[in-house]
Amino acid sequence: MKETKSALPEDVRNAITELRRHYPTEEALLLPALHFAQKHWGGWLPEEAILGVADELNLAPAKVFGVITFYDLFHQSPVGRHRVRVCTNLSCALRGGNEILEAVKKHLNVAENEVSADGRCSVVGFECLGACEQAPMMMVDDDYHPHLTPDSASKILEELD
Amino acid sequence: MAFEAVLLRRSSGATALEVPVGLKEYRADGGYEGLEKALSVGPEEVIEEVKASGLRGRGGAGFPAAVKWSFLPKSDDKPKYLVCNADESEPGTFKDRLLIETDPHQLIEGCAICCYAVGAHTCYIYIRGEYVRQAEILETAIRQAYDAGVLGDSVLKSGFKLDMRVHRGAGAYICGEETGMLESLEGRRGQPRVKPPFPAIVGAFGAPTVINNVETLCNVPHIMTRGADWFSQIGTDERNTGPKLYCISGHVERPGVYEFPIGVTLDGLLEAAGGVLGGRPLKAFIPGGASAPLLSAEQSHVPMDFDSLAKAGSMLGSAAVVVMDDTTCLVRAVYRLAKFFAHESCGQCTPCREGTNWSQMVLGRIESGNGRPEDPELLLRMTGNMSGTALCALSDACVGPVRSLVQNFRPEIEEHITSGRCPLPYRSVFEKTA
Amino acid sequence: MPKSMVSVTIDGRTIEVEAGSNLVDASFKAGVQIPHYCYHPRLSIVGQCRMCLVKIEGVPKLQTGCTTRIMKDGMVVRIDDQEVRAAQEGMMEFLLINHPLDCPICDQAGECALQDYSFKHGQAFSRFSYEDKRTYPGKERIPLGPNVVLNMNRCIQCTRCVRFTEEISQTGELGFFQRGSRTEIGVFPGKELDNPLSTCVVDICPVGALTSTQFRFAERVWYLDKTPSLCTGCDAGCNITLEHRQGKIRRYKPRTNVEVNDYWMCDFGRTTFLSYEEDRLTTPQQRDAQGRMRAVTWDQALSSVHHFLVDGAAMGTVGIVARGAATTEEAYLLRLLADSLETPHRGVLREPGPVRSIPNLNGGLTGREITPNRRGALLAGLGPAGLGPEDSEASADSATSPGEAEKILGGAVNGAHSVLLIFDGGRAGSDNALSRPAALESLRQAQTVVVLGWASTALTQVADIVLPIATHAETEGTLVNSQHRLQKFERAFLPPSGVRTGVEALSDLVGRLRSDFAAQTVSEVFDLMAGETPSLEGISLAGLPAGGIQLPVPPE
Repeated sequence: MKETKSALPEDVRNAITELRRHYPTEEALLLPALHFAQKHWGGWLPEEAILGVADELNLAPAKVFGVITFYDLFHQSPVGRHRVRVCTNLSCALRGGNEILEAVKKHLNVAENEVSADGRCSVVGFECLGACEQAPMMMVDDDYHPHLTPDSASKILEELD
Repeated sequence: MAFEAVLLRRSSGATALEVPVGLKEYRADGGYEGLEKALSVGPEEVIEEVKASGLRGRGGAGFPAAVKWSFLPKSDDKPKYLVCNADESEPGTFKDRLLIETDPHQLIEGCAICCYAVGAHTCYIYIRGEYVRQAEILETAIRQAYDAGVLGDSVLKSGFKLDMRVHRGAGAYICGEETGMLESLEGRRGQPRVKPPFPAIVGAFGAPTVINNVETLCNVPHIMTRGADWFSQIGTDERNTGPKLYCISGHVERPGVYEFPIGVTLDGLLEAAGGVLGGRPLKAFIPGGASAPLLSAEQSHVPMDFDSLAKAGSMLGSAAVVVMDDTTCLVRAVYRLAKFFAHESCGQCTPCREGTNWSQMVLGRIESGNGRPEDPELLLRMTGNMSGTALCALSDACVGPVRSLVQNFRPEIEEHITSGRCPLPYRSVFEKTA
Repeated sequence: MPKSMVSVTIDGRTIEVEAGSNLVDASFKAGVQIPHYCYHPRLSIVGQCRMCLVKIEGVPKLQTGCTTRIMKDGMVVRIDDQEVRAAQEGMMEFLLINHPLDCPICDQAGECALQDYSFKHGQAFSRFSYEDKRTYPGKERIPLGPNVVLNMNRCIQCTRCVRFTEEISQTGELGFFQRGSRTEIGVFPGKELDNPLSTCVVDICPVGALTSTQFRFAERVWYLDKTPSLCTGCDAGCNITLEHRQGKIRRYKPRTNVEVNDYWMCDFGRTTFLSYEEDRLTTPQQRDAQGRMRAVTWDQALSSVHHFLVDGAAMGTVGIVARGAATTEEAYLLRLLADSLETPHRGVLREPGPVRSIPNLNGGLTGREITPNRRGALLAGLGPAGLGPEDSEASADSATSPGEAEKILGGAVNGAHSVLLIFDGGRAGSDNALSRPAALESLRQAQTVVVLGWASTALTQVADIVLPIATHAETEGTLVNSQHRLQKFERAFLPPSGVRTGVEALSDLVGRLRSDFAAQTVSEVFDLMAGETPSLEGISLAGLPAGGIQLPVPPE
């Protein structure tokens, strides 16, 4: 089922190539490849990224799509410049995690998984991020923010570009 | 505290990304002497030593670590792998994160000793995707280890080749299940495999594989340097040995990771952590993560080791202790856990895919005041059909808290149903009430 | 090397199975069926649906039968057991809570494993009263491709279809997307499920989530009569079940034959019955002196044909040509006709076509010709005169030089043949050796063209006498496929009035030429043929096994 070739950008291809010697199969490169691609495309995976990775690793697009839709950190639609994940699992919920989520949504004026009007942020309630001693907490892009209050959460968001 | 920290000796319970212990500092504190010892006594001796220590898996299952190691075939026809389980997604658990971000070389040394013991020349550290900074810290430490000849073609000049690499997950609790992790490592959906065959025979890429938790492996250097006897004398009895990291969170004054000889009680742990938040009465607690049946305040005296908690009707699991005070609606708490399991179910098998979702819906209905008299029985029957029928343990994990709610806290459910509302509505943590 | 056998006891019945068999397969042998959804003998074992849980003595937890291999003697299994029944009820309940009550509008009703097992293993009430069923809005009837429609609400997530496209068709169009109770099967957005075997996923889907575009709402399956038959779309000879009602074919489904097509058939083959009602010839016709075709009686037509043949034989200019659509018995009668007329000009056309591949356990089955039975015609002796069946077979596979039949048609141009009797068997509007302008032009040169066929085609337009005969659904007989396997098909229903079977028509003609000829039925014709064919010695039509018999394959 060979389709027209979708070439990945060079930096993504190089990153994948560098990894090949660490894994015995092409398929095992898929999650790392998707992380690279998603980073390149600003936090999400458009169709060209998916087809590009599928082509590079010689995998069926349906298979790659199955992997992407399985994992919470891969996104098929834009997430804004910053992805905010507010933990609402039990330990954070006991310390106000749901209130933080509501405060963040209110501050950004979005519903969950919606990108704010200025394209800056999207927010989602998330499962346990492994930082329960910092409850309530949230993850903004790659960083954890501990011991939040509705005000301190808003302040963190305000300081994002 | 009389007990001298073992795993946290260099961490001091520090959190939130202070500068991790570098290789030089690690070595100066006796680091990598365990690896040297292992290389000098030989693989069989290492396995015997770890076996004698009684070390049981710290990821949740509590399986004796060295017994698992000894399952790997001795033949050389296939490569062998160690996959370190740093997926840490059990709600309430954050000890592995702390170990990695404060003292990464301890883990690297533990992995290296294990690899040597089983003849694995490749180690993947599968770390959950959300631990981005922690993965970076680990990668830096691994580079330091390569530069210092601890990893690479000849570990500490022994001739033993070892490659180690960090492999990031992408956000799925089920990838913490051994074979779910292997599927994910191999580039697929993290759907657990049918067992047998077990990973020790058919694991990563079809080859014999050991999978161990971060904390489990961090114990190994200490067992090598200080001996199995020392290790096995710590703890409750010969089946529950060694130092243990306890995560405590929820309604507690000083949430964090605390190290105790395995078998501390909740009372003991709470004392170290400053007691229940605001001095409020304890209502219930989870001793071992979201999969553990809830225990009532009356059981705060139970030693928190594998066997004692099992006897008390719960489990040690990942030793993630979640404290709930008297303002907590347990129905809402368990509903949130069921919601977690429903979100994380991989969806392969019928009882888990349908049961986790159904139990979430029923509990949600009860919590919002729309419960029916037949609901408690329904939950019992439903969880009965989810136990022992599914492809992996996630289904049983969901059963833990749900069943314990119905069996041990039935009046609370009944009250929701008969009164048609939640008797303990959520109270804001932030708004100050007069 | 013979496989070792081991014993296993299932519900008190002890049977012997091949070592390594799984319990689901073994249970069939023991006469009890372990219910299952995700397991299929040709797909990877995933142990997902959990419907096949059974109790194994000595093992504390229930085990899935599909993942349990019987390696040693002495395994004791219970299916008729309280714990097993509770698990079966539990699994059924879980599957039904989110399953739509679509039975009244769902094609699968009557052949639905969910219906069957819920009746047999489920409970009679529902406890799912106050929640909303999960749905996949917008995915109630989405075409996955030209031949398959998906209703995602009905899916039970068994992943048979996904594994089929990965492992059998190896085209990888289908995937398993999302997680948990949101999981769904589908194609990559913008792509299609479109491979030669795509409709097989409809066969293996246990429920009505995947339906065939062709069969959707066509018929209730409990009204369908089912006749074991063969697909005639090419020379692969896939075994099929021809499903019909009151003389109308509704569906072809593959019939399992491990030696031939295994569990599969191709999408094209499933369409080949659609033309059986189009442009049917319903009465014999003969061209009058003014050149107009007139309806005549069978007696008139056969009588005319007989005279033309005799006259032509006297001049030595009779040719008999068959397309490979003739059954072996029809071809045998054509050969007897040629022998009785003492004409060397007889043959069967070779018509190459698109390659069709069906996977099986022996390297696959391939069809390369557009007619199903050229080899059967050669077996029946319709090859060049003087060649025995085995030698004819040898010439069967040689590709290049034009065969006798092609030469006869070519000779018609030069007026070499005054009378041509042609067995057509082609669909209206189809492109084949006898429909092309060049062939038709050459046929116009012959003095008299007699055509036996079932559809009005370009060929019948140029014929002088047309004899309407039955389609293969309306008769019985045998065909020899590309593996040189002789297989039989049964009659589904009678031909329309006015139409006779090819065997009836040709027997009549042979009987007019030979007073000693007495065969009337297909079976009798087969017996005659078997009497002079070494590879068919001692075999009768009735005695032919359902899976066919392998004839000797001629050397390269």
